[in-house]
Amino acid sequence: MFVLFISLPILAVFLRLNPSQASSQLQNPQILNAIFLGLLTSVAATVASFIFAVPTAYVLATRKFPGKAVLDTLMDIPMVLPPAVAGVALLLAFAPRGLLGPLLNVLGLTLPGSTIAVVLAQMFVASPFVLRSAKSAFEQVNPDLINSAKILSDSRLRVFFTVTLPLCTRQILTGVMMTWARSMGEFGATLMFAGNLPGITQTMPLAIYMLLSENPFAATVLSAIMIIFSFSILIVVKLLQQKKYGGKND
Amino acid sequence: MIKLESVTKSFGEKAVLNELCLDVKKNEILSLLGPNGCGKTTTLNVISGLSRPDKGNIFIDGVLVEGKSGGDKTVHLAPYDRKVGYVFQTMTLFPHMRVRDNVAYGLKAKHLSKQDVEAKTRSLLDFVGMREYAEYFPHQISGGQKQRIELARSLATDPEVLLLDEPVSAVDPQLRESFRLELKNYLRVLEITAVYVTHNLSEAFIMSDRIAVMGNSRIEQIGSKTDVFDKPGSEYVAQFLGINEYKGKAVKAHAEVLEIEVNGVSLLASSAPNLVGKNVIVTIKPENIMLSMNKSDYLDFKGDSGNSIEGVITEMVQMRSSAQVTVDAGFLIKTRIPLSSIKNLGLSIGDKVNVIFRSDSLNVFTDNNNE
Repeated sequence: MFVLFISLPILAVFLRLNPSQASSQLQNPQILNAIFLGLLTSVAATVASFIFAVPTAYVLATRKFPGKAVLDTLMDIPMVLPPAVAGVALLLAFAPRGLLGPLLNVLGLTLPGSTIAVVLAQMFVASPFVLRSAKSAFEQVNPDLINSAKILSDSRLRVFFTVTLPLCTRQILTGVMMTWARSMGEFGATLMFAGNLPGITQTMPLAIYMLLSENPFAATVLSAIMIIFSFSILIVVKLLQQKKYGGKND
Repeated sequence: MIKLESVTKSFGEKAVLNELCLDVKKNEILSLLGPNGCGKTTTLNVISGLSRPDKGNIFIDGVLVEGKSGGDKTVHLAPYDRKVGYVFQTMTLFPHMRVRDNVAYGLKAKHLSKQDVEAKTRSLLDFVGMREYAEYFPHQISGGQKQRIELARSLATDPEVLLLDEPVSAVDPQLRESFRLELKNYLRVLEITAVYVTHNLSEAFIMSDRIAVMGNSRIEQIGSKTDVFDKPGSEYVAQFLGINEYKGKAVKAHAEVLEIEVNGVSLLASSAPNLVGKNVIVTIKPENIMLSMNKSDYLDFKGDSGNSIEGVITEMVQMRSSAQVTVDAGFLIKTRIPLSSIKNLGLSIGDKVNVIFRSDSLNVFTDNNNE
């Protein structure tokens, strides 16, 4: 019954599709723009999340310092925050009248209504996924493995890049994929902070929202595309979790 | 070769090493023997530099690697710079690397040429008889094979000191005995200074030239294998080694022997007149005790004034080739009797027997806690 409850709405989207009409919708510039912008911003947000979240996760997993528990909890807040609240928070921090507004004005940056704002909104909401995965991966590495590498190598960086990081790759990649999926599906924070400007801030979920009243069939096509993206990402995540070192030699 | 001076290390309130002093000679294999949690691994970690002691000095080959130098300058050499090899208790082969890459890991850090790395890797794999497994991943080889690779990997950087933390415990139980001998052979060939941590008595006996018994956060006794087993220097060491130990009083010195009273029973030990009148601790190895139905058997001791005490068997625990037989003779005496002798004598619980041992098999020392 529960399986039906989950699968029926997904099935409903695909049952509504008419292949010939669907292919014509793929020429629709609004849809194409939304797909392009969605992919561009979500990939940028994922890369940026990876760059900032992995070192933070390493520090949280391996170092002891005062206030660590508070910081650790703080980093999780975006995961449980309603996206609308995330949007308000981002506005209060980065909008022209926000906390950093004057500084950004000096630099000639106005974030709301820009593509950068979309990336920031996605990053704010989705980066905790890669942070959590990476932290958990770093914590699970056998400390004796790292110690044996430290005895054999004079460079801590080499130990990190040749032992620690490869041992955590699968879990970090899982986090990266989840971050990407969450970034692509981000709606509330993007709408509040970046706005809904076609070609500039209108990602796939925002386009679906707009098209639902103007052109419901286009919204269905875009929804189907997003379901396919999400499903593909989940398959990759599952494959990553199953892979074993040197499995091909077994 | 390795010298620890008053090394202290605490984790929170608990002192794991307390003013620990240790001297390991060049090319000797020293076993650190002690129960779990007595600080053996911490000792290896402070020697290797993986852990920093709270105070004390550590020297390797005459070089201060940890502590305070003459000018009160704090010295802490990184693990890599101490020229130590370390075989850990848990399997620490890098699971994402093939066997050959594991062995070559330390060689690559030395920035050797590719040819040199390959040649040295091959020779190390040959040394441990694992060349044909070079392309395997760690999860594809057995526990014993993994430990051989761990050994080869730890030797790659040409360490002057090898630290081994219970390397046999990660091997399947049925293969441990043969792996111990194999490891012993490798170490003999290497002629390297090694500190071997174990809580297993027979393993310490097989592997080492000298044994240091650890307890109470320090070295309780250090000496040759026979010294430690025949003449335990404290109650703690005797108890840990499973040796009979009794509190008594040296009452009288005879011509060649010392008479000691334990629980109202007189025992004769080798002469030590300076102990007369003192409270003493007497130890005797279970292996040095015989059981007999005939009281006069001790006369066979070729002139030695042996001991023969009557008692009743209270417990018999059978092992593979012998049994631990406990006799109540006014105090409990543990003996180790071959199964064949038990069968010949027809021993069983409740039997009256004579407990017989030579006077020179008793080890006597002053009871410092009860002088």
